[in-house]
Amino acid sequence: MALPVTSSGGREGGGTAGQVTSPDGPAVERVRPVSARHFVRLKLRVMGNSFRGQGWRVAMFAGSVIAGLWFAGTGFFLLAAPGLADEPTYALMTAAFGGGLLVLGWLLLPLVFFGVDETLDPARFALLPLSRRTLVTGLFAAALVSVPAVAALIAAGGLVLASGLLGGAAAALVAAVGVVAGLLLCVAASRAMTSAFATMLRSRRVRDLAAVLLAVLAALLGPLQIVALAAVRQADWDRLTGVARIVGWTPFGAPWTVGVDVAEGRAWAVPVKLLVTALTIGALLWWWSRSLESAMVGAAGGGPAKARSGPTRAGTGPAGARSGAVGQLFPWAVGWARRDRFGALVARECRYWWRDARRRANLITIAVVGIFVPVMVNFGGASFSTGDGTELAAPNSSPMLVSLSMVVVGALASVTLANQFGFDGSAYAANVVAGVSGRLELLARMAAFSVYVLPMLGVVAVLLGMVLGRPTWLGVMAGSLVASYGAGLAISAFVSVLGAYSLPETSNPFAMNSGAGVAKSFLALLSMLGAAAASVPMVVAAALLGDAWLWLAPPLGLAYGLGAALLGAYLAGDVLDRRTPELLTAITPRR
Amino acid sequence: MTDEHPALVLRGLAKQFDGKVAVAGVDLDVPAGSFYGLLGPNGAGKTTTLSMAVGLLRPDAGGARVLGHDVWADPVRAKQLLGVMPDGVRLFDRLSGAELLAYHGLLRGMDPAVVDQRAAELLDVLALGDAGRTLVVDYSAGMKKKIGLACALLHGPRLLVLDEPFEAVDPVSAALIRDILHRYVVGGGTVIFSSHVMEVVQRLCSHVAILAQGTIKRVGTLDEVRGDRSLEDVFVEVVGGRTATGEELAWLSR
Repeated sequence: MALPVTSSGGREGGGTAGQVTSPDGPAVERVRPVSARHFVRLKLRVMGNSFRGQGWRVAMFAGSVIAGLWFAGTGFFLLAAPGLADEPTYALMTAAFGGGLLVLGWLLLPLVFFGVDETLDPARFALLPLSRRTLVTGLFAAALVSVPAVAALIAAGGLVLASGLLGGAAAALVAAVGVVAGLLLCVAASRAMTSAFATMLRSRRVRDLAAVLLAVLAALLGPLQIVALAAVRQADWDRLTGVARIVGWTPFGAPWTVGVDVAEGRAWAVPVKLLVTALTIGALLWWWSRSLESAMVGAAGGGPAKARSGPTRAGTGPAGARSGAVGQLFPWAVGWARRDRFGALVARECRYWWRDARRRANLITIAVVGIFVPVMVNFGGASFSTGDGTELAAPNSSPMLVSLSMVVVGALASVTLANQFGFDGSAYAANVVAGVSGRLELLARMAAFSVYVLPMLGVVAVLLGMVLGRPTWLGVMAGSLVASYGAGLAISAFVSVLGAYSLPETSNPFAMNSGAGVAKSFLALLSMLGAAAASVPMVVAAALLGDAWLWLAPPLGLAYGLGAALLGAYLAGDVLDRRTPELLTAITPRR
Repeated sequence: MTDEHPALVLRGLAKQFDGKVAVAGVDLDVPAGSFYGLLGPNGAGKTTTLSMAVGLLRPDAGGARVLGHDVWADPVRAKQLLGVMPDGVRLFDRLSGAELLAYHGLLRGMDPAVVDQRAAELLDVLALGDAGRTLVVDYSAGMKKKIGLACALLHGPRLLVLDEPFEAVDPVSAALIRDILHRYVVGGGTVIFSSHVMEVVQRLCSHVAILAQGTIKRVGTLDEVRGDRSLEDVFVEVVGGRTATGEELAWLSR
């Protein structure tokens, strides 16, 4: 075991070297204790400074506050609903399941979607003589000062209201204690989880793999939700109340259900449940402090470079093309490309879509979402709401609906390129110095991305055609897919040039610049809407032209998509040429 | 070479970041065939100046010409003649060394066969051949500098612009880089690099410019700038650092 880096005050140095700071040394002034307050103030100061002179950051922060408030308000009324409607039967279920979802969200969402706010990076404290306890409580307190935490607190306030309405002031008071404890649990859980992951995944290759696995998990969340909803529809309420009662005794539900317990006359359960919560928080903080330590040590020294697979493998590829440096650059999938500028750009991008964990995670999301969105749309509520579980055979679908779902998938796929330059970061300087023209740059990026995405889209169309039992619709599906994908590429080209933003270059794959999450979703939404709007003709045609469209869709869709993409690269390329240095500045992370 | 033009001319380059002046009007003439050292303390504006000189950062005012070609008006021609190694900028580091060199070579419009041959040679000379298919992201700091230099050299530029080429480099690699640069200048190339390592500048450079607070304070041949003193003395005097501490920090010694 390595020694803890942060030993408090006089512990290091022992008694031998009297010159080193020792608590009783005569010349050293009294060491004032560092409290959590300092960390909170530091965090607020760092946040405040990051807004200075950056209007768009303030705007983004405001955006996240509004989103947080919206979430908080919705959650508040949902959780307060049993009380407001005076329906005590649902109170326990709401508290247990609602609260449990909240905890689950805090556990998983930072890992996959939003990232952790790394305003206070633990590694920065590695050299300060802070005890582990001080550091953990400080960072914990600082973590509580965030928009999501405040939003969650407001939302959970609904439970207090519900308990108050059902059980009077005493219940409300107990519920309030429970809610605060629950929030502490949420934050501790999310911190412990991300920190543990970040350290576990120090090695880059393992980290890449994990990011991908998490992406799969995230992409599956949506489908799982639907399955769960379908299950809920079939289950009877008594059984659910039983489940809720059990959940209420686990850390997921314990803090949230205490108010209801008082209201329903089970006051004896309150101390036990609060104890469960407190123990859980303690355990989580302990776990966090353990991984914090190794995170700090790890950040200090980079690992040694080691050869990946020995010396250059010669001549293993087709026709011995791998031997030279140029041969190594080109993966087999783009073996067709000419060995020139365009080819080099395409080859490099292809390598990056696979080797960069962030990009690979995006590809996987496309694959999973690409399958599930159309299935959801085309089977509508039909199969799930009937509830008897027999039917996938009579979907309420039509060529128009299929086109629509395909448009969504195509647009979604293309939106991945909305911040394509942000993936590169400052490495893009190489292309700037080499004087690559904007049109070539954008075309190559589209081509490389399509090497991965077009086959996936093809699989989506075929799969859906088989599932629907309508192979004749394959043409319509392929046409709509390609049309919306191409239109989306064109729009993403513009967005990526004009609205690029930097992604952090940290060792934590879950880190996000504060506020970037909002910008990301906003830009993505914008380009998705644009792509979908641009593909409206395909849907309208599907609705109006009837059977003729079955045969017209593939060639017209292909022409439409290809034309849009080329036009987009052509026009956005000019914009790129005019603002290359500005783009480079925008995507270079600030330090 | 038809070198009637200076290798690099900077005229009135200026840049502000959020109202803070980083570079306040830099004029510089780098003669062809010179080995030019751009000296300055941290935050003097070295990186900003060099970034503007090579077209990575748009200046607020002023311009740059590479061998007579305006970097902003005629970027294609100017960039063909340039080899650049920026500092604090990532390489496309998810590629192996050989792949990275191939990428740079093809991006410069070189013939694939020539790229293969030169890449092998550079990897060999820079002792990076052993790294095999290790990705550049897993290289050590010194190896990253070396592969960055290889990328800048690959297409045989007439002017090399290097930002802090000796930072974080061990003595062995530093000696190797020095040798290569020396040979490059003897062969008719021009090098301008930024540094704050006096010893290296003194040993290598024919010309020196001292940059502080965004303006050029001293400029000329090495001998003109240092006179009969050491370069370090001149540098500290020009930059305005203090050389002695008296009473303050007394608590450091006990």
